[in-house]
Amino acid sequence: MVGYISNIYVGVYTVLVGMVITFRQMLKPRVTHQYPYQYEFERKDNYREIPIGYRGQLHNRVEDCIVCNKCVQICPVDCIYIDSRKPSGGRGAKLWESMNVVHLKDRKQIIGIVEGNTKKIEPDTEITISQTVPAGKTRKVSSNDVDRIVERKKVTFYMDRFDIDMALCMYCGLCTEVCPTECLTMVDTLQGIEYSEFDRASLNYSFVKPELYK
Amino acid sequence: MRQFFSIVDNLSEVAVGSSKPLASLLVEILPPLPAFLEEYEQLLAMITACGIFVAVVPLIPLVLVLAERKVSAFIQDRTGPMRVGPWGILQTLADGVKLLFKEDLIPPYGDRVLFRIAPYIIVCFSLAAFVAIPFGAIDLGDEQYIFIVSNLNIGIFYILAVSSVIVIGIIMAGWASNSKWSLLGSLRSAAQMVSYEIPVGLSILSVIMLVQTLNMQGIVDQQGSGLHSWLIFRTPFSFVAFFVFFISAIAEVNRTPFDLPEAESELVAGFHTEYSGMRFALFFIAEYANMFAVCAIAATLFLGGWQGVLPGIDILGGLPGFVFKTLFLVFVMMWIRWTLPRLRVDQLMNLCWKYLIPVSFFNILGVGIWMLVLGADTMDMKSLGPSLVIIVLAVFILLRQVFKGVSGTKQETIPAPSI
Repeated sequence: MVGYISNIYVGVYTVLVGMVITFRQMLKPRVTHQYPYQYEFERKDNYREIPIGYRGQLHNRVEDCIVCNKCVQICPVDCIYIDSRKPSGGRGAKLWESMNVVHLKDRKQIIGIVEGNTKKIEPDTEITISQTVPAGKTRKVSSNDVDRIVERKKVTFYMDRFDIDMALCMYCGLCTEVCPTECLTMVDTLQGIEYSEFDRASLNYSFVKPELYK
Repeated sequence: MRQFFSIVDNLSEVAVGSSKPLASLLVEILPPLPAFLEEYEQLLAMITACGIFVAVVPLIPLVLVLAERKVSAFIQDRTGPMRVGPWGILQTLADGVKLLFKEDLIPPYGDRVLFRIAPYIIVCFSLAAFVAIPFGAIDLGDEQYIFIVSNLNIGIFYILAVSSVIVIGIIMAGWASNSKWSLLGSLRSAAQMVSYEIPVGLSILSVIMLVQTLNMQGIVDQQGSGLHSWLIFRTPFSFVAFFVFFISAIAEVNRTPFDLPEAESELVAGFHTEYSGMRFALFFIAEYANMFAVCAIAATLFLGGWQGVLPGIDILGGLPGFVFKTLFLVFVMMWIRWTLPRLRVDQLMNLCWKYLIPVSFFNILGVGIWMLVLGADTMDMKSLGPSLVIIVLAVFILLRQVFKGVSGTKQETIPAPSI
């Protein structure tokens, strides 16, 4: 009889203990991040480290591309589309002798011909660029602002279209392995993983800029 | 026709006071009908009152489904549905539209007629319990009009009877699905609901003894003198009866911890496994409507119905007060659902027959003795005084033990590891 009554008592108060605990949980803040509206990745204690060599989205420096079509041939899902044509003028015709693309640290580019040494950039000097795009002007840039200088060699093909359909891409990285000029790379920063779109057509990345050949 | 109307008139007559049901209010408010409809006035008013209830009451499950998801999310430290509409309030609407688009599959070898009828029986009899519940009251002139569809003299008895028919619908659903798990689920549910009807009835009985009437409006009238006249506080035995009723009501509605019939991990989905689309939605509407109905009954019988804390319709009174009390009890049901694990079917039966039924009999005995010796059906201090003292003392001792238990379960918080 005593066991019966103590059963009831224990049953009742343990249920109430559980209910108090759950009620206290209800008063605590929620831990859900409403991604992408609540972006918690920038905080130092919550930083997501992307390892080097991570296979993110593809990026192409088209001014270095020699249109060899190796990436097109090796892609297992055929997601790279390149249209190219030969310039008029027969065999050996060149579009231009040589050209440099100066990549600035704020991601701008200056296309022109750089005087002097382009392999090594000394700090705190001034670099003179005679621009070809837009033609004619000379511009001086401090070398502290310069990220890298790329030399563009003789170009034998016009590239009309360089599209990568990221919706098809399977991130195997084979195209980056075979590219001889290493212009096709995979972004291994946070921008390499966050590029979702609402429309599937906007995942077709075109890398050819119209002012490439002017 | 005249005889029919006199039956309708008699059904609306109340034994206590001059309160009139909603149909009479509509007769007063609405403009006079053209002459050829004059003798159908009462009938049309009755049909309109029913129509209002049928329009409003099925919207309650829509709100409760979302409330359940939000409450369960908050208890689990998450946010629940947030995308559809601001703070996710249109989620149930989206769910309803989705269920409308689903394929309506009827098991080929089951019993087709029963399969189709079962959801409708369950929904109809869940909603039929709302007919006799008084939701509130307004005073117009010298008449008091109650928001009740039909003020039956056997109100609470009718509600109990109607809730029992739901078991038939569940058995039909399980049998007609032609599936072992559905059948098992429905039979377990039938056993559970039939067993838990007994503590429900006995707890109600121990409270009816105090008010001497089965009329729902009469029960509410007798709790009109303020907080101390609520039936839950009249004797300590009716205080216990409230909790016995509440636990048995949770079992009646098939909610966790008693939801073995529809448990997801045990029986796929129990008796509603084979249902898809809108038929499935009807089961859910019936479950939440039933939940709201039993909470409304608990609020009417034990917590004073639409009567407020002070005499007259002031704080916690009228229609808003009644809805607040009912929704609070619904919230407690949801709270319990996300606190306790599920009971096995034999533990369920054990709880009912060995614990709840003896305690309910003991309550009836206690209330009877209290009435005889101390006069609990009147409201003198001779009966209320000891009762309130005992209730407060018991609650205090219980809560002390509860908070001692809570502080015993506190863990040290481990600092989060740095990456």
